[in-house]
Amino acid sequence: MRLTRRVLLGVAASALALGAAMAHAQTPRRGGELVIVSGENPRHLNPAVQSGVATAVPGTQIFASPLRVDADWQFHPYLAQSWEWSDDGLALTLNLVENARFHDGVPVTSADVAFSIMTIKANHPFQTMFGPVEAVDTPDEHTAVIRLSQPHPALLLALTGALCPIIPAHVYGDGQAVREHPANNAPVGSGPFRLAEYRPGEQITLVRNDDFFLEGRPYLDGITIRIVRDAATATLSLESGEADVGMVTDASSISRLGAIDGLTVTPRGFEGIGPIQWLAFNTRVAPLDDVRVRQAIAYAIDRDFVLNALMRGVAASQPGPIIASSPFYNADMPQYSLDLDRANALLDEAGHPRGTDGTRFTLTMETVPGRDAALGNVPEYLRSQLREVGINVELRASPDFPTWAGHLASGDFQMSMDIVFNWGDPVIGVHRTYLSSNIREVIWSNTQGYRNDRVDELLALAGQETDMAQRTAYYAEFQDIVGEELPVYWVNALPYHHVFDNRIELPLSIWGLMQSMDEVYWTEDR
Amino acid sequence: MGSARYIVQRLIYGLILMIGVVVLNFFLIHAAPGDAAEVIAGEMGGITEEMMAQIRARYGLDQPIIVQLWTYLSQILTGDLGMSYHFNRPVTELILQRLGPTILLALSAQIFAMIIGTVLGVLASRKPNGPLSGFVAVFSTVGYAAPVFWTGLMLVILFAVVIPIFPVEGMVSARFRGTGWAYAMNVLWHLVLPAATLGILFLAQYARLSRASMIEVLGADYIRTARAKGLGEGRVTFHHALRNAVLPILTVAGIQFGNLISGALLVETVFNWPGMGRLAFDSVLRRDYPTLLGVLFFASAVVVIANLLTDLSYRYADPRIRTGGR
Amino acid sequence: MTTQAISPLREAWMQFLRNKPAVFGLVLLSAIILTILYGRFIFSGDPYQIVWAPLSPPGERGYLFGTDFLGRDILTGILKGGAPTLAVGVSAAVLTVVIGIVMGALAGYFGGWMDDLLMRITEFFQVLPALLFAMVLVTLFSPSLYTISFAIGIVSWPPTARLTRAEFLRIRELEYVTAARSIGAGNARIIFKVILPNALPPLIVSAALTVGVAILFEAGLSFLGLGDPNTVSWGLMIGQNRNFLLEAWWPVAIPGLAIFVTVFAVSLVGDGLNDAFNPKLRSR
Repeated sequence: MRLTRRVLLGVAASALALGAAMAHAQTPRRGGELVIVSGENPRHLNPAVQSGVATAVPGTQIFASPLRVDADWQFHPYLAQSWEWSDDGLALTLNLVENARFHDGVPVTSADVAFSIMTIKANHPFQTMFGPVEAVDTPDEHTAVIRLSQPHPALLLALTGALCPIIPAHVYGDGQAVREHPANNAPVGSGPFRLAEYRPGEQITLVRNDDFFLEGRPYLDGITIRIVRDAATATLSLESGEADVGMVTDASSISRLGAIDGLTVTPRGFEGIGPIQWLAFNTRVAPLDDVRVRQAIAYAIDRDFVLNALMRGVAASQPGPIIASSPFYNADMPQYSLDLDRANALLDEAGHPRGTDGTRFTLTMETVPGRDAALGNVPEYLRSQLREVGINVELRASPDFPTWAGHLASGDFQMSMDIVFNWGDPVIGVHRTYLSSNIREVIWSNTQGYRNDRVDELLALAGQETDMAQRTAYYAEFQDIVGEELPVYWVNALPYHHVFDNRIELPLSIWGLMQSMDEVYWTEDR
Repeated sequence: MGSARYIVQRLIYGLILMIGVVVLNFFLIHAAPGDAAEVIAGEMGGITEEMMAQIRARYGLDQPIIVQLWTYLSQILTGDLGMSYHFNRPVTELILQRLGPTILLALSAQIFAMIIGTVLGVLASRKPNGPLSGFVAVFSTVGYAAPVFWTGLMLVILFAVVIPIFPVEGMVSARFRGTGWAYAMNVLWHLVLPAATLGILFLAQYARLSRASMIEVLGADYIRTARAKGLGEGRVTFHHALRNAVLPILTVAGIQFGNLISGALLVETVFNWPGMGRLAFDSVLRRDYPTLLGVLFFASAVVVIANLLTDLSYRYADPRIRTGGR
Repeated sequence: MTTQAISPLREAWMQFLRNKPAVFGLVLLSAIILTILYGRFIFSGDPYQIVWAPLSPPGERGYLFGTDFLGRDILTGILKGGAPTLAVGVSAAVLTVVIGIVMGALAGYFGGWMDDLLMRITEFFQVLPALLFAMVLVTLFSPSLYTISFAIGIVSWPPTARLTRAEFLRIRELEYVTAARSIGAGNARIIFKVILPNALPPLIVSAALTVGVAILFEAGLSFLGLGDPNTVSWGLMIGQNRNFLLEAWWPVAIPGLAIFVTVFAVSLVGDGLNDAFNPKLRSR
């Protein structure tokens, strides 16, 4: 049985789909190319010093990482054929495969692993990934020992996919700053594909690495990533078969593609990113410093309307900071459903009576430029909807990204509609926006100015707890507190979907296309 | 005045204009709130204050603005337009890659508009008050009155969904690996819709202009003479008269080039055409200053050169100007 | 020389009325303006209000033009969005004409170094890529109807300046100007009272056409995401609904048609004025 033209929804459906996909696995076929359509242009191709999906997709084809993760959050060997923890949980030993070579023929050694991890620690925006790493020892060419200052349960995940590309020390170790290194545009990795041509803003062409360390892989001859900024145009190219695979992020395109024969449309493969659309409040300014006002706004929003009418039923509900498909998600956290009376009562109680024109007060909402396809309709909706409870919303559209970033970073805002990613482990993508120690003048930190001592304490504990059950319990309490205090209103999980030709066998891990595609193949000629 | 000296003079003057464009925009862009370090920080996915300080130092953003301008201008003179913040590579390289597609699009549109517009105008001029003339007058206004991106979007709908015979995205098919003739045909196939969209916008001007100047020329003595000699109407119209109506058409072609670049920006965005316009659009949204300044510099260069070529062809086509006697 | 001579303005008007496309344009334009001014009193509605299911086709549930991506009535949007659209067009055109006339008049009247300087400035602005420069300006001052009108005005004036200059160069040598000068009229008086009224006809034509250009310009900026998000305009409607084009063509097509019809009417009128004021073409 083949899963054709179905928009699969929710975690349960995902698990079902995975089972089905495994059941009919056939002998992989060699050959053929894949055209992936991508909405964003990568700044460069080295994920070691650059976050983001646009860099991660080509980056993980070019660079291999120590481990891989599957759709069930389980870890598997990749450049490391095995690994073991020390008893105190403060050292992780990686045993590397012996036949891995970079695309220029130089063998991959433990020195490259040590160099890569320390480079990422020093340069990557996600400081928490390797924050506790003190050093990486290299007792021999194929053994690397990561030594930690404190237990770090997120470490294994941080060694997978785009989070830990092993970059060649003999190329990047030449003294130039890695962040601006010329090799970022012409990368040399040890992954299944090598870069053939890179036309910025247009197309990235990857060809098979015949010298890949996994025997017989990859199956494909090449991958072409076509950059198409306009959502409608990208949809058309998937429809017409100009492109074979796409990450589609807007509800309108997803529902359209879902009706087309020969295409699989699925939300699987985004569990790792955990894309959340949120309405962030600046909790330092009146009237949003009052929790009752924030709760009133939450009660005034019709979540069902957002999910069904705006998101066309293809986005999942997301009531809290941790993505609902994560094992750490707490389904019992406080939830807010439409209740205009309660919203009005809360606003009255908070001392904001309606004026003669029915308006209580005006709030401004920041929107990110150039992202309207994914979130543009929700800000418009909120402007219409919050009027119902006497809140007048003015949109402040920043004409460009830095203007928006400037407003957020300096606290010069009231509300902001934005997209935030979980990035696999809460330590990486969630802690940063709730810790009071991370109230800083940079974007994607705790720009809400939110402070709660218990939250700080819980996150510190959870970040070091290696016992899964205990860690889950810490996160559950954290979600209860922020759910009550609402420094942010989580609107929905963004409806990111993978769309691909049915004839492609495409195993989707939690990282989706942001992990090696050496196992991808065409089941028949296209 | 000798032609060579004239060209050199014009080029120097053009260069001064181009540098003026860059200086003005340099100051404007730097007057905006927020700085480039935030751009880069955002591009990298959020970074620490220390990294931002490093970036400021590395790109010289901690220098006074006059020093930054001076550094930038001296770089330009050596052909270096700096590094793009977003694309993280030399701006010159980026623009050279995009210049070809934009010029291809603009010229095709220009030629399309010129040929069809002139033919329509000439036909209309033969009976200035006839129905064809009225049709041309209205039809040419139609093309001009629709927003160019809207025309493009409507064509996308028509040709992607209703009659899918032309591609609506890009310059070459993603899967296409051929070279030579096959490559040219693939590009041409992709060029049809964008060039037509952009061309329709300018059709009007050519149609009106050629109609008006043909009416004027057809009344002139030498045309009467040609008619009197018994030459066919077609030959009179297209051979004798058109040759003289070509001057104003050329002039407009030169003046239009600036507008053509603006139109190309919108058309490239609609059709995902990998040209300078889309690059400019991306760099404005990202406030990628170096790229934006580079695009402004090159776009004004294109206009300067187009004007110069117009001038030269004008001088060539009209001997009175060439000899300086008027 | 019998009784009264027909004034040139009256003659032009008669000529205009004989031009069928121009009269059609004028009627169309008046209808559009009346609809925009008074339509909203008859058909009151909030363009932001969600009234029915998103993207429902024209005619459904009595919504003549259907609904947009949020389920807002497109007809209300067209009616309410017309005024800001025209306002941008007109104010940008006014700015264009004012700058153009001042620059052109000074250059043409005084000549010499003044002419050189002002024409260099004009050339400079002609070399600037207009849309790109307008984008920079709008980005700089953040998008609103004012900044958009301002930006359009700043990039559009050079042709008007050139035209004014040419007219001034022609007229300043005419007898009545010399006469005015000889009776001791000051420069300001000659420029504004003597030359300008006579140079006006082609400038009126150019102003009319500029309104159309400015409307198209505003639409282009909105399409690129640089429109004023807090004011409904036709361009903004296209820009916002563009992402849903494949699902529904009408939220894009209808505001586009509104722009098209308006600019079309404006240019028919402009062309009519041009023909009416330009006796050379008329005589043929």
